Amino acid sequence: MEKIRLLLVDDENDFRRTVAKRLMKRGINAIQAASGEECLDILKNDPVDVVVLDVRMPGMDGIETLHHIKKDHPEIEVIMLTGHATTQDGMDGIKTGAFDYLSKPIELEHLLRKVRQAHEKRVRREEKQKEEDFRVKMEQQMIATERLAALGTLAAGVAHEINNPLAIIRESAGWLASILTKDELAHMPRKADFEMALGKIEKGVERARRITHQLLGSVKQMDSTFSEVDLKKLLEETVVLVQKEAVNKGVEIVQEIGPSIGTLWTDPYKLRQVLINILTNAVHATEPGGRITATFESVDQQVALTIEDTGQGIPREHLKKIFEPFFSTKPPGEGTGLGLFVTRSIIDKLGGEMDVESQLGRGTRFCIKLPTFPHTEGDLGTK
Amino acid sequence: MVRIPTKVLLVDDEKDFVEMLSLRLQEAGEKVSAAYSGKECLDILEESSIDVVVLDIKMPGMDGMETLQEIRKRFPLVEVIMLTGHGSTETAVEGMRLGAFDYLMKPADFDDLTTKLQGARKRKDAQEERIRLAEAKLLMRKSGGTF
Repeated sequence: MEKIRLLLVDDENDFRRTVAKRLMKRGINAIQAASGEECLDILKNDPVDVVVLDVRMPGMDGIETLHHIKKDHPEIEVIMLTGHATTQDGMDGIKTGAFDYLSKPIELEHLLRKVRQAHEKRVRREEKQKEEDFRVKMEQQMIATERLAALGTLAAGVAHEINNPLAIIRESAGWLASILTKDELAHMPRKADFEMALGKIEKGVERARRITHQLLGSVKQMDSTFSEVDLKKLLEETVVLVQKEAVNKGVEIVQEIGPSIGTLWTDPYKLRQVLINILTNAVHATEPGGRITATFESVDQQVALTIEDTGQGIPREHLKKIFEPFFSTKPPGEGTGLGLFVTRSIIDKLGGEMDVESQLGRGTRFCIKLPTFPHTEGDLGTK
Repeated sequence: MVRIPTKVLLVDDEKDFVEMLSLRLQEAGEKVSAAYSGKECLDILEESSIDVVVLDIKMPGMDGMETLQEIRKRFPLVEVIMLTGHGSTETAVEGMRLGAFDYLMKPADFDDLTTKLQGARKRKDAQEERIRLAEAKLLMRKSGGTF
């Protein structure tokens, strides 16, 4: 039988102790209170499922106590004990929110049955509440996901449309720049000004181009191709790509592969993109002499990828925002603010989860969990 | 040294882009023609000799991939560089499988473009050279090698 936390409230000590003793024999260890005041004191600190409450008590009587219980602990079920043949008290109790009432003298079996029923009611209500909470949470997640997807689609559309005019700007500026190099213009007045401004146009276009390409990258993942991926090899290959930057900066990258890590059925290009994004961020955040550790290991039916650095860490107020599109702490033009946004949407599509922990001045740890057997999410893109 | 200009055909429905890139490539010493659709591209290939086609993938009507297939069928020696506006490398790679020399993402880096143009031109020259040699060999054999 489930453990029921019961509080027995009655001013008649003999009666109360006897009932408690007999309940104990039946496996219910009841807490006891001799008055309404004591009952409320106990409830302040101890969680209780069911209260068995005598109506007739000196001081605070049962009905008043019930009022307080229902006000402060609405989740607790209360069974009233009324004097012989006074059903009116019991009715008042039920009106105030008691689960039921029993008339003294009570039969133990009767009481037990009522206590169990009250407890069951409570358990059912909690389960329902949990289901409700879960449903609300899922709905909120769905809304957030849909909003992000809509944003992604919109952004990709915009990015695509912007690429063409960008190309026109770039070719126009490039053409002018190449004219400036001609002999006929060798002595053109204020030539340096033109060159400087054309250089700025070229740089601006490059910056916009990086943004549009990353945005398109975040949506492009629609067409996923899954295959059997050798994780050790993937990690090695990817580290090679960022190694140069790390070595230049004096940052060490350590690779660790868990013993039972073999292959994973996933999208190798996207997973590599994730690795590159996080490793690059780690290199940027880590001071010379620092170290980045990338680990693949098996954790109950999942593959866990952890990338930990000894870098500057992420301030708490930024931690919530790092996955938002266009959030960046790098100077304008250096970071697009899309790296982690893209990373997150990739992980979502691969059916995984991503967590981040960070301590200022100590470092940051990204932990990604990927399912060993991804479900439909990855198939969405095959259309 | 006199550089022989590469005969480039730019194909894109974005007129301003074609116009500016043409001017720039001409400035760099190439010989440039322009087409604003897949059909126009094929017409020009019919009439004039072209080394390399720079072909936008996304065009209304006959798109880049269709045009590419038609070029490979009718003008197998002409090299093609795909231009992709929407960064979908998959299509571009598919194009390379069908015989395109390479691809570029819009807006493309001019140095990248010129490097790839040269590469395409080189591949075409080399292929034509091999054909000439093969033809010469064939002639020799026909004449019985009695020189």
